[in-house]
Amino acid sequence: MSLLELGGVIKDFGRLRAVSELDLSVEQGQIRSLIGPNGAGKTTVFNLITGTLPVSGGTVRFNGEDITGLRPHRIAQKGIARSFQQTFLFMQATVLENVLTGFHMECRAGALHEFLNTKKAKKTDGGCRSRAIEIIEFMGLSPVTHERAGNLPHGYQRALGVSIALACNPVLLLLDEPVTGMNPTETREMVDRIRKIRQRGITIIIVEHDMRVVMDISDRITVLNYGQKIAEGLPSEIRANPKVVEAYLGREDN
Amino acid sequence: MSKTQKIALGVLLIVVLALPWFVSSYTLQILIQTITFAMLGLAFASTLRVGLPRFDIAAWWAVGAYTTALLMKKTDMSFWLTLPIGAVTAVLVGWLIFMIAIPRGMMVFLLFGMVTAMAIQQLFGSVDFFGGWGGPGLVPRPTIFSHRFVGKPELYYLGLVFLILNVVVNYRFFNSKIGRAWNAIGSSLRLADSVGVNVVRYRMANVLIGNFFLAIAGSFFAAYSPTVMPSTFSFGSSIYVMMYVIVGGLFHSLAGPIIGALVITFIPEYLRMAREYEPIITSAAIIAIIIFMPMGILGLLDARVKPWLVRLGLMRPERGSKDVVTSQ
Repeated sequence: MSLLELGGVIKDFGRLRAVSELDLSVEQGQIRSLIGPNGAGKTTVFNLITGTLPVSGGTVRFNGEDITGLRPHRIAQKGIARSFQQTFLFMQATVLENVLTGFHMECRAGALHEFLNTKKAKKTDGGCRSRAIEIIEFMGLSPVTHERAGNLPHGYQRALGVSIALACNPVLLLLDEPVTGMNPTETREMVDRIRKIRQRGITIIIVEHDMRVVMDISDRITVLNYGQKIAEGLPSEIRANPKVVEAYLGREDN
Repeated sequence: MSKTQKIALGVLLIVVLALPWFVSSYTLQILIQTITFAMLGLAFASTLRVGLPRFDIAAWWAVGAYTTALLMKKTDMSFWLTLPIGAVTAVLVGWLIFMIAIPRGMMVFLLFGMVTAMAIQQLFGSVDFFGGWGGPGLVPRPTIFSHRFVGKPELYYLGLVFLILNVVVNYRFFNSKIGRAWNAIGSSLRLADSVGVNVVRYRMANVLIGNFFLAIAGSFFAAYSPTVMPSTFSFGSSIYVMMYVIVGGLFHSLAGPIIGALVITFIPEYLRMAREYEPIITSAAIIAIIIFMPMGILGLLDARVKPWLVRLGLMRPERGSKDVVTSQ
């Protein structure tokens, strides 16, 4: 059984069909890439999986359970975390506080304990703090632990977005353009980290435009165009697929 | 809290407690009013942290005031009993309204707030049971062990207890995990629910805590005023509350509303000789404050005074401030 299964998922924006009857199944432990030209509906698919947008038709199943139509925070509680294409961060808060916010679901001591800041609350918080620092180290953010997120350079902000998602302790991680706008060194580091995240047993779906990264890192690739799946397969198969080349470069007429 | 902060807070507390000996009875009266307004501002500032502007302040303030006024007048109930009754009423009625408003987002919440404020004022004014537009008449002063709170200093201290309670409770919430979730909602709704924060529930909790203290501010108002009239709880007073928060400093959810309420309540008082121009001058002063101190009075102090305190060794430099941006 696949970890994530989309069956005939449809998304309409008014009269525009952004995603049409998409079937997608992602196996446990895979790195799956979702590629396609701009406007192909990749980010929309992420929004449908996480419940940010309601589906217009079809079903989303996760771990064998139907999660179609659940509210975003419920889906997050099921174990799906994501990073965003636009850098959505808690800009006024420090890097550490950002990651701690990611521990929202797990590190709970109960409202009364938290309000009174009892021993129990302090202990839970301390536990989360040390785990947050581990994540920060893992993502290479240690030098900026106490900086405000809004003041960080772009590469760090991207890494922080992924850190927050990791703090949710996900089973499935959705990364929306994790290396976009990064320089080659940063990109290499990020790719390494994504591999390490997979080694921890976390299944990953990536939306990315950097084809070198996509070909390098993916177990399987799904290609979307105008909201439809036009190809799926191993990186080598995708590279050789004429339909994919056509979607990206346009048909060579006459 | 650092040691310096603790000392500063202690000094402030002593000054505040000693004030009745140094100021005129008239100034004290205004200070008592300011306490109420500051509590209204605290509710607005707190709810702003979850990204919701509330314009229903006057409504819940009125619920507290009328509960105390009517129960004390009609049933001779003790003030101390009307206090929780008013607060619980504001929370329960609020819950019914917010259950509809909060899941529908910020704009609906804002509109519901305006409508609630106007509807509740109309209700208290039009229904005879509540005493009509003239109000239900004089409210007896609260008593404790057969001692009646008549003097201004006593009422001042009573108000101070409520205000401090409000500040302490808000402070505890802001600095707990609950406050962290509130900040998350306020700074990015989508990121907040992507990490599993139940936005509706956390917003509800925030707003209802506000309702609780608004009603307490209302009960206190009824006790010192000692009359309540629908005209006091106009929609305009909800707008004034927003002014306190902006003038005090939007990013200072505790001290901001208090400073703002002090400034805005005292400016008109010093303009008594120019009575007919008072509203114009007050408005101009508020606009000037907003133009020249967009971050409010406390925001300005943060930018101008804090660096000096740091240089003098009285404060630790704030980590993560703008001037220490690291580059790669």
